[in-house]
Amino acid sequence: MTLTETRPETEAVAAGDDSRPATQSSAPQWTPPTGLAGVLSTGDHRVIGRLYIVFSLLLSGVALTLGMLIGIEQADIDGGFGVFGQANEVFQVFGLYRTTLILCGLVPLFLGLATAVIPNQLGASSVAFPRAAAAAFWTWLVGAIAHIAATFSYGGLGSLQAEVARGQSVELTVLSLGMIGLSLLVGSGVIFTTLVTQRSAGMDLLQMPAFSWSMLVATGVWLFSLPVLLANLVISWVDMRGADALGFGGGDAPFGMVAWAFDAPQVYAWTIPLLGIAAEVFTAAHRSSPKLFEPMAFIVGAFGLLSFGAWAQSFFDSGDPLATDAHIVTNEVVFTAFALAIALVVLAYGGWLAFNAYSAGQRPQITPQFVLVIVSGALLTAAVVAGVLRVAEPALGVLREADGDIWRGFFDAMDDLEGSSLVTGIMNFAVLGGLLAAVAGLFHWAPRLLGRPLNAPLGFLSVLPLAGGAILIGATDALGGFFDQPAQPYSAGNPPYGPGHFDEIDALGFVEALNVIGLIGYIAVLGGLALVALNVARSLTGTSMAEANQGEEA
Amino acid sequence: MADIPVGTPLAAPLPRQRTLLVGTVFGTAASLMYFAALLAVYLRERSDALTGGGEWIPSSANIQLAPPTVAAWTMLMSVVTMQWAVYSIARDDRTHAIMATSLTTLFGLSVVVTTSFQYTEMGLVADESIAAVLIYTISASHLAMIAIGLVFLLLMAFRALAGQYSSRQTDGFVAASIYWYAVVFVYVVIWTAIFVLK
Repeated sequence: MTLTETRPETEAVAAGDDSRPATQSSAPQWTPPTGLAGVLSTGDHRVIGRLYIVFSLLLSGVALTLGMLIGIEQADIDGGFGVFGQANEVFQVFGLYRTTLILCGLVPLFLGLATAVIPNQLGASSVAFPRAAAAAFWTWLVGAIAHIAATFSYGGLGSLQAEVARGQSVELTVLSLGMIGLSLLVGSGVIFTTLVTQRSAGMDLLQMPAFSWSMLVATGVWLFSLPVLLANLVISWVDMRGADALGFGGGDAPFGMVAWAFDAPQVYAWTIPLLGIAAEVFTAAHRSSPKLFEPMAFIVGAFGLLSFGAWAQSFFDSGDPLATDAHIVTNEVVFTAFALAIALVVLAYGGWLAFNAYSAGQRPQITPQFVLVIVSGALLTAAVVAGVLRVAEPALGVLREADGDIWRGFFDAMDDLEGSSLVTGIMNFAVLGGLLAAVAGLFHWAPRLLGRPLNAPLGFLSVLPLAGGAILIGATDALGGFFDQPAQPYSAGNPPYGPGHFDEIDALGFVEALNVIGLIGYIAVLGGLALVALNVARSLTGTSMAEANQGEEA
Repeated sequence: MADIPVGTPLAAPLPRQRTLLVGTVFGTAASLMYFAALLAVYLRERSDALTGGGEWIPSSANIQLAPPTVAAWTMLMSVVTMQWAVYSIARDDRTHAIMATSLTTLFGLSVVVTTSFQYTEMGLVADESIAAVLIYTISASHLAMIAIGLVFLLLMAFRALAGQYSSRQTDGFVAASIYWYAVVFVYVVIWTAIFVLK
């Protein structure tokens, strides 16, 4: 028996096997552990899925708290430090916000939903490698805790001020992020293998529910993205091991090496399951089944293909002694084309949803999950539109070449968006959209996941701060970019805290006001997440549907 | 219940799920992507260094082509023995399958020894150049890949000893062979990109 198989006792229990001879019953028998020991050693995909969901929601809350702290700091840009003591701390939290929000919050939340729901959708008894799924979860959890702890121990993904960083903590931050990436890769492998091999007889790939299809695309893209992230981290770590870091492990290079994972187009890749959840929730709200499934599957596949972003590593641009504008990834034709094409794909997906709404022929049932998927779709659309604006200047550069005088005013607004907080806005729009879609999935599948549906009034109460807050966060960041607010306030190439450091920001007071509004957005989303957590806790501790039915029958 | 006429063909058996095969293909693809990323960084940095007129591998280092060439040929020979193992288990020849797996394992171990020997001889100090950092990262990662492959092979050999695999069920050996071929492929690419091109 290897790691790849389900334990016999798990299978026996699952099958309700009580056919053993009576003579054996007197002998001491092994009974599955219960309580904490049972949770720690479980191979049950539903329990693993729930664990993923609970801890990833918790860590999303941690990430949003970090975002809130940065928001407080940026509410008074030129007034020195409000929350943090020095530039290095801002840089650490800047990196930690991204890694925690995406790799400790969003992606594991999707994996948790998939681990719990997909076997049921396929008619399978469990995931393909239940023990590997459990190992992936515990490794991820340990990695996430170590990553946060290491960052707050003067670690982080590199440092701006070598004198205040602790080398071993920086190494631990990098290694723990590698641990997170590896565990997410294993978790993705489990889901991918389940989708390919565990379907009911006669069910082909295009007969799977939309969420399963989107997870197949997502894990396929993550399969090609996460190993690249790991490679970047290993190079950084090996470079750090020497007496002097040479190019990949010193200064803020470790963050630069992995920054592509938190930028377009890769940031869209983390949100692929949003499309599957939206399709299922949207059609369920219209009390119909998805029409034209194949085109939708193609759209999700195209979105996955265009969101693969491991090639867009602008960190390596700076190493080219002959670098010209043509060598900068974000000015390249491919980068621009991908940003434009993915907007068309999202538009096509919206068209598919509209077609399904039209062909259902009835008004949708308004549920918390329906509102959440509508908002998450709007956030994803906002992200890709912001992505188009980002590349508009290089994309339409040909017009400037043709007649600079006419187009000057237009291009002035588009100039210098690269490196501005518009990039953060794109990330926040997409990732918070994904987070909202995952919460919608939680509401949608709560009876299967938790044993009873989530409370609808409490759900509606959480929708308002979640949706409103997410829009505020993304919109203020994106708008700040047009006033030259930098995405990364302090970097090695941008000496921190000198007088007039923020002189390049247009309308400083307005940008600070935007940041205050963004701060309110973080507080709102945190409040909304707390309400969701309360709803989940209420559901987990309440009477399950099965028990309630038994009570009614009695 | 309706009678079933004598001679009615049985329903076609359900296709085997091939879970281990698909899982291995996923893991192998992830490994290949990892090395693709490492080699992309290596070639990019090498190109930058040479375009700028500088040296790539420090002149103090002495990277001989002979040891990695021996290792590359050893790896290529292991492809034959690996396929021999798959061929044998598919014909219920468990003895030859285990023998072939053992030979493949020995070839893998000899590559580990050859690489270790080269480390001691080439005089490349990791602190001194970006080339050294990347060469050690890539070659040590490949050693780790070989180690995982050896564990996989030994596991399959022990399972075969216990009678698990036969002509009706060859998935374990086929899965191990897919991973091993990837190990060999990666080494051939490393040999070309690092040691031949230098």
